[in-house]
Amino acid sequence: MYPQQVQQYLRTFFLENNCQFVNDTDHYLTVQLTIDMDKRIMNRPYYWQYVETTGGVPCPAQLTLITDQTKLTENIKGELVHFGSPRLSQLFQVTHDMGSFIQMFEQVEGTINRPILTPWLGVNYKVSYYSNQTKELLHSLGINLMNGNIISNFHTSLNEMNIAPSMPPNAFLLPYVIKPNRGLERLDGVVENAIQQDDHSWAEQAKKRWQRDMRVLEFFYEGVEVRPESYEMEKTALEQQYEARIKIEVINGGIFYLK
Amino acid sequence: MIIEKSSEWADGLTKRLEGIEPWDNWTFYNMSYHIAQNNLITEFTGLQSPKYLTNLKPLEHQLKVAETVIERMNGKAILADEVGLGKTIEAGLILKEYLVRGLVKKALILAPASLINQWVEELHYKFYIPAVAYKKNTPLEHCEVVVLSMDTAKKSPHRELIFAQDYDMIIIDEAHKLKNHKTKIYEFVQSLKKKFCLLLTATPVQNDVFELFNLISLLKPGHLGNYETFQSAFSASKHDLEHDDYLKELVNQVMVRNRRQDTGIEWTNRQVNIIPIQFTAEEKEVYELILDLKNISPVFSGAFSMITLQKEMCSSKEATFLTLNKMRQNCTSLEENNSVEYVMQKLMALDINSKAEKALEIVSKAQDKVIIFTEYKASQAYLQWFLHTKGITSVLFNGKFNKNKRDYMKHLFKEHAQVLIATESGGEGINLQFCHHVINYDLPWNPMKLEQRIGRVHRLGQEHDVHIYNLAIDNTIEIDILQLLYKKIDVFEKVVGDLDDILSAFKQTI
Repeated sequence: MYPQQVQQYLRTFFLENNCQFVNDTDHYLTVQLTIDMDKRIMNRPYYWQYVETTGGVPCPAQLTLITDQTKLTENIKGELVHFGSPRLSQLFQVTHDMGSFIQMFEQVEGTINRPILTPWLGVNYKVSYYSNQTKELLHSLGINLMNGNIISNFHTSLNEMNIAPSMPPNAFLLPYVIKPNRGLERLDGVVENAIQQDDHSWAEQAKKRWQRDMRVLEFFYEGVEVRPESYEMEKTALEQQYEARIKIEVINGGIFYLK
Repeated sequence: MIIEKSSEWADGLTKRLEGIEPWDNWTFYNMSYHIAQNNLITEFTGLQSPKYLTNLKPLEHQLKVAETVIERMNGKAILADEVGLGKTIEAGLILKEYLVRGLVKKALILAPASLINQWVEELHYKFYIPAVAYKKNTPLEHCEVVVLSMDTAKKSPHRELIFAQDYDMIIIDEAHKLKNHKTKIYEFVQSLKKKFCLLLTATPVQNDVFELFNLISLLKPGHLGNYETFQSAFSASKHDLEHDDYLKELVNQVMVRNRRQDTGIEWTNRQVNIIPIQFTAEEKEVYELILDLKNISPVFSGAFSMITLQKEMCSSKEATFLTLNKMRQNCTSLEENNSVEYVMQKLMALDINSKAEKALEIVSKAQDKVIIFTEYKASQAYLQWFLHTKGITSVLFNGKFNKNKRDYMKHLFKEHAQVLIATESGGEGINLQFCHHVINYDLPWNPMKLEQRIGRVHRLGQEHDVHIYNLAIDNTIEIDILQLLYKKIDVFEKVVGDLDDILSAFKQTI
């Protein structure tokens, strides 16, 4: 993420959390936190415990976040926020926690007939390949919980629809034929299948590197009867360095009632 | 292959469907997806991190080093660029890349005490890595990246606290301090787990080729064989050029080294000269008298103490006096005592220091900022006094100064004084590009110390040709030191690669 993107992200994040901006420029912003946000990100539980038990006047913090120091001409004190900085990771985590599960309805207007909406389960997956290198893939999948039809790039297709968290008046929601949890299993299956079909020469290569380095290590300790602790340590290190692993994570997902 | 998967999300979904917990907000949902999309690492290769680092414009050779280390050396390497090419930047790029890729969660950085703050600052400012300088009660379990000195790390209880952590990456600055495999610090580093590991040193060979063997055996035990096989292979290579190339090739698999001239940057020239000096007749006499002491008293018969005295005599009478005086106290007989006393009287009667006169001549001729490196604190103090009597301002510098004092001294030198007089330990970690004359008033045994000293001024940002003056007094031990320095440089060039001029522009063949 570039500084402009970070700035944009912060603005949306605090706006959506009902925090007021005191200063709002293209390279830094000062924001008045709400009590709720203060508790979430400022890490001062004792203060809040104190205020709440004594009935004192709560005074949530103001936070100045600088996204592009190079543009800073004012004498501003604040936290530098960049991709990889702890503050941004924290806010990403909060965002993630606040946006993991969703239920949305396609909005249908002006129809005389009672609109009928079909339930879908949408899930965004991140798949990571690890050895001494990494690569990540996103899979956004949706399954029609009526007929089991599965489509990819589900999240992108949502952008073209008018969806909202509340049910349009009058709408008729079809019941599930496939239970959401069963749907999820099927989507998991699709991801695992995609992984199986993928090119895994990266893992082969990592294994070769591992074997080669193991041979080098063995050579060093050749003829040593009782291997010292450092030998075991090196072996563990090589394992951690080269062992091929795949991780499947769900970024988020939810139930979507669509036309 | 292992596939890791968690059922956490499935459980959360069930709770929402059953109405136990509320659904989330669409904006955050959408943002969360876009964060994942934006930050996705789509390729195994290539550097992801530089584009995010707005406070850093890495140089071509630095990016190349980072890529080579990650892709060809799998994250275990000796970074051996010549002094001043930005090894810290290279290490920062590599660390950042692994952090961004999620391959490193915790990293341990060992650096000389005087450089700890510089590391922390650079990592914060240039790489946005929240590194922490280790203090007594730093909770290591909560620190992703911690910087501490080797001296602290190897001692209890710090040592045990470090072993209790699981570090994915170890970075060691000034790694030539690990050249000796019998030291406590070597053993400490050896027993650390090194999944990814960077050893930073401009001088992987200082005295002999076994130092390089020791370094590489820390990084990748077995890469150069075990001690016995290496020993026989290297002694073979002394007579066999093919073997020599093979060794160099092996070394290059785990070491990256840029020379100034390979960086594509315009470097100013380095003009290195040996300045021969003649003792006055009186100085010569005292030098001989000191040498003769070994025939008079057993206190002076040890080779080491005699060499120290000879070296000091080549530096200043002040330095010599301190040692002589100390040694005199070990003399038992009256006769011994009297002899030493006699030498001391002769010594203190000297009114000319030929070397200091030569240094003065160079400083006056330069009419510019000059750094003088000496090995002895007494000579340092003497030189300041001597220059002062000639109307030349100077500041002192040594490695024990804390950061504030260093910065202040550097400032004084830049703004007010003509000369900075530094002792050896002041050689690391200060950058003085605004100066381009260096006098090596005393010669160290180790050529790489000279390289480190020169590196203080001949580095990125230097705009003028750099003049190096190596002072050596004829017919003294300093000529032997010169010979030895040439020999060590030869070994370095054989296994590591060519060196920039250190002693003089003309290579001496042995």
